[in-house]
Amino acid sequence: MKQARFGLLLFLFLLIPPVAHLLESIMIIHMHMQMPLLVIAGFLMAPFFQKRFPRLFENWNHAGIPGILLVTIVWLYWMIPRTMDDALTVQSVEAFKFFSLPFLVGVPLRDSWKKIGLTVKKIIFIGFTILFFGMGILYIKVPVQLCNNYLLIEQITLGWGFVTMAICIVIYLWYFVFMDHSKYE
Amino acid sequence: MSTATSKSLKEKANQVMGVNLKDAKLAKSYMAVAFIALLLGGILGLLQGFERAGLIQLPYWFNYYQVLTAHGLLLVVVLTAFFTIGYFYAGLSHCLGGLLPKVRKMAWIGFWMKIVGLVIAIIPVLLNKASVMYTFYPPLAAAPSFYIGLALIVLGIWVCAFGAFINVASWRKVNKGKHLPIFAFFATAVFILLFFGSIGVTIEVLILIAWSFGWIPTVNVMVSRTLFWAFGHTLVNIWYLTAVSAWYVVVPKIIGGRRFSDALTRIVIILLVIMNIPGGFHHQIVDPGMSQALKFLHVFMSLSISFPSLMTAFAMFYVFERTGRKLGGKGLFGWLRKLPWGDVRFLAPMIAMIAFIPAGAGGIAQTTNQLNQVVHNTMWVVGHFHLTVGTSVILTFFGISYWLIPHISNRVLTPRMNKVGVIQTIIWTIGMLFMSGSMHAVGLLGSPRRTSYSTYGDNATALGWDPYLIFVAVGGTFLIIGVLIQVFAVFHMMFFAPKGVTEFPIADPEVPVEKTPMWTERWGLWIVIMLVVISMGYVIPLVELIVNAPPGSPPFKTW
Repeated sequence: MKQARFGLLLFLFLLIPPVAHLLESIMIIHMHMQMPLLVIAGFLMAPFFQKRFPRLFENWNHAGIPGILLVTIVWLYWMIPRTMDDALTVQSVEAFKFFSLPFLVGVPLRDSWKKIGLTVKKIIFIGFTILFFGMGILYIKVPVQLCNNYLLIEQITLGWGFVTMAICIVIYLWYFVFMDHSKYE
Repeated sequence: MSTATSKSLKEKANQVMGVNLKDAKLAKSYMAVAFIALLLGGILGLLQGFERAGLIQLPYWFNYYQVLTAHGLLLVVVLTAFFTIGYFYAGLSHCLGGLLPKVRKMAWIGFWMKIVGLVIAIIPVLLNKASVMYTFYPPLAAAPSFYIGLALIVLGIWVCAFGAFINVASWRKVNKGKHLPIFAFFATAVFILLFFGSIGVTIEVLILIAWSFGWIPTVNVMVSRTLFWAFGHTLVNIWYLTAVSAWYVVVPKIIGGRRFSDALTRIVIILLVIMNIPGGFHHQIVDPGMSQALKFLHVFMSLSISFPSLMTAFAMFYVFERTGRKLGGKGLFGWLRKLPWGDVRFLAPMIAMIAFIPAGAGGIAQTTNQLNQVVHNTMWVVGHFHLTVGTSVILTFFGISYWLIPHISNRVLTPRMNKVGVIQTIIWTIGMLFMSGSMHAVGLLGSPRRTSYSTYGDNATALGWDPYLIFVAVGGTFLIIGVLIQVFAVFHMMFFAPKGVTEFPIADPEVPVEKTPMWTERWGLWIVIMLVVISMGYVIPLVELIVNAPPGSPPFKTW
């Protein structure tokens, strides 16, 4: 339950207007720091909900697939460039961001990750890696501003952020697949 | 079968009795180079202090900036790199049952690469063709051989790093399911930082080689600085982590205690590895070309490094108090008196730790944008790193030398030599109090760094710095006495001290032994997280500085 408390604290910290404003002032920080931190806050808070509503998770997320599907859909939605614009200009979308990322991504991610099989995990990992590379190339190559609120240079920065993240995931997958841990542990 | 048994017997004997002679020779060579560098760099430092105080004027053929460059190179690159590698290789040999033959060979190859690199780099400095100071910021351009020498030094360090990785991996294969010994865990962390931290600077140096040859006409100054500090700050933390390894593992044994929680120690190490490299950005906090919001966010990244440092401070005082009370210390502070203050192996690292309290606080001040604007490019910064590196790290290294050198030389530390060490430590402390203290003060009054003595046409403000600068020279005089004693002590212990066995002091964990989680051993995962953090830290400034690059700069030789 300690974790859930930390998650709540993190969530409240991110809600503070100056903090939100600072994080949203730089495009890559908006997408690659604020949003993942919101997910992490939800991830940490998940045990509270799991304990409080065990039936809900049992009924609706028995094998983990609905949960992970929800995670993927919401996450994909927040990768669309114009959703960031919407969040900055329309108050209700901003509110939806602060609700959806912790509670519709973070919480179900934690609940599902232990339930889903290795194949689904692989699909998720590989899918997101390809997506990251794709988004990276899109943001780097596209010659026009995709967001009204951010300059072209910030877009290119975000693109390189996606590419480096994708490279890190590839290194991790390589480490995971090709290293024989049984030799060492 | 018989060979296997004899080998493991030999390993056990090694651990109990003493040292593998071949590994000892390697460690001794590294130590000898380190302390010769201390002697040379110390003498240069004295000359510099005297010139900076306006007491002497160095001749034109051996001027202040040449001396400054050589002082920096010898002390912050050669001394620390050779000491760190020698110390960790000696420790790996001790706790992993001897180095593998091929690893030993790699360490020798690395040794000679670094020596050759050093010679190639130092020649242009002596010829006054590379007075660019050790940060070698472009557009100041040195002769190409200076950069080639630096590249060779880095490659030599990489060979040593990979040697260590091979040895650790092989040990883990043989000792399946066991935790890496804590000292080897520290060594792994340091070599990971040495390798990943120096990738950026290697790219920079390769570009500068082409630039100084004239193959490429211009260089992006801001990118060069960014790549340099990704390394520069990591290097600082490598020294620090080396010192910390002795604080966690060795000092408790020397005072007769047990070391702090094994799991927490490992977590501190992992955190330092993960968060370190982007911290370098705070060295550029007043550089142009980066937005204010970004600088503000980077302050968090930098300050996060102080979190494991504070954990370390807590752990150390926990160990001291427990040990002091076990030895009969009473009352709130009675345990302090029970600590072995007369033992140089404790006294030197203890003063080092105490020095880190103001040193770390000063570092936090500098990380903050506004405060940095007050002290940036003043003598304050010089005072700061003479307190961190010149006191916290170096005094720990000196303290280590009083057991490590006897250990690898199969000799013992005599009570007389211990006394010499205590005196040396006191002289060093006094010298640094004078020198670093007055540097901090005069920096706040605006005296610039990286500048030879000048009264700026008898400007009243500049004249007001003079009394402080005299204290810099006074401190420097104490320090050179300290250097001479230390170098004498090292070579005496290496070649003339009475024969005998000195143990490699590694403290036992606390009882009851708690179980350390196995995930601490997943180095691959930590490296990936480290890479994620590095890209979080550096993608923004690098893309900005490369895509919106100003016109590059041709090489300049201002001297």
